[in-house]
Amino acid sequence: MTVNGVGVAFSVNGVAHRLEVGPGETLLHTLRERLRLTGTKEGCVEGECGACTVLVDDKPVDSCIFITAALEGRRVRTVEGLSGDGALGPLQQAFIDYGSTQCGFCTPGFLMTLTALLEENPSPSPSEVRQALDGNICRCTGYRQIIEAVASGIENGGRP
Amino acid sequence: MQFRRAQTLDEALDVLGELGKDARILAGGTDVVIQYLHGEIAPETLVHIEGIGDLATVSLNHRTTLGPLVTHRALATDEALGTAHPALAASARTVGGWQTQAVGTIGGNICNASPAADTAPPLLVADAHVTLASRRGKRRLALTDFFIDRRQTVMDPDEMLTAIDLDPLPAGAGEAYLKLGRRGAMEVALVGMAVRIGFAADGTVDSARIALCSVAPTPRRVPEAEEALIGSRLNASVLDAAGEALRAAACPIDDARASASYRMRTLRGLLERAAIQCREAVTL
Repeated sequence: MTVNGVGVAFSVNGVAHRLEVGPGETLLHTLRERLRLTGTKEGCVEGECGACTVLVDDKPVDSCIFITAALEGRRVRTVEGLSGDGALGPLQQAFIDYGSTQCGFCTPGFLMTLTALLEENPSPSPSEVRQALDGNICRCTGYRQIIEAVASGIENGGRP
Repeated sequence: MQFRRAQTLDEALDVLGELGKDARILAGGTDVVIQYLHGEIAPETLVHIEGIGDLATVSLNHRTTLGPLVTHRALATDEALGTAHPALAASARTVGGWQTQAVGTIGGNICNASPAADTAPPLLVADAHVTLASRRGKRRLALTDFFIDRRQTVMDPDEMLTAIDLDPLPAGAGEAYLKLGRRGAMEVALVGMAVRIGFAADGTVDSARIALCSVAPTPRRVPEAEEALIGSRLNASVLDAAGEALRAAACPIDDARASASYRMRTLRGLLERAAIQCREAVTL
């Protein structure tokens, strides 16, 4: 099969990239295999489980079904962008404090969807949190600890 | 495969005119990319149209006009749109999770022509029409005439959906979209039903539109069931008759999600629930 490379320029966690990618290459593949950002996980590969969630222009998308070539001029954020200078971000710390992660495979996806939610609505109700997480599946925690982690930030008067 | 970016409608129509069925339009990709990864489609060229800003507009007037790139998220959260089209907003909220709604478009939901397309029944009860454009010109047709079969539409290979126009909810009418699934999220409809009912000042039904998805190869209106409701006060015998008309129009399949017989048996109950929601939405 001939591969017709496509030039595409976009940023990931604030870093500009200009890449030549395959026309059907997914953002998940680009992040993990080309940019070696392996925090984003491959789950179902059909947009059902949300493990691969990243933000594109601040909106959560399933990177496993998102074509990289469609990213021209757009901004991508991944779980690697939530921490800085060796310190976890507040939402990540809340996940640890509240036991919101067990096997951890789904956690990066949850963190990204919740980051988008809290940027859009800094004090979501528990039902708004649950609704925002419709597209993220966790088979360990039962979700309660995840919702508690988000609520902890609201009780503390701001971001977790 | 090749990847082409179209920045304007003319550019997109040029590519489609040149490549026809070898091209596949890519917007949010929530259906197209899955089909590509599963090997169900193998287009020679993906034509990316998300950058055509003109196709993402909403205009609310005596008819509402939606660009095909309006996302499910916009349908689900835009307040003015939600007031004019509550059933459409409700249906958009049930399409996948936020990740799907954020990029998945109404144009894609229609053109993909899934039997289970959630936005189709609310569009059908709003008398939606679609505008198809190609280098040869434009045509506008009723959504009822757009779907031919499972995943098949009347669109020619060089055509593209450029607008959807529909009736906003009139005064004195209520509407609802009910989706039957095994769980509350990330579900493909076992049955989807949109109902829009208008009431006279004395509470009798003076207009009714009912549309279904997931019970036939295409989403469809059911005029016989609509007629059964007109002039009534939605009493049990009228709902029985309309439910019977719905069953006559449905030809569901057995699949992993539900049996055909189960789907058939839900229609009368869903109609009653939807009718109650319509009535409760109206102050006479």
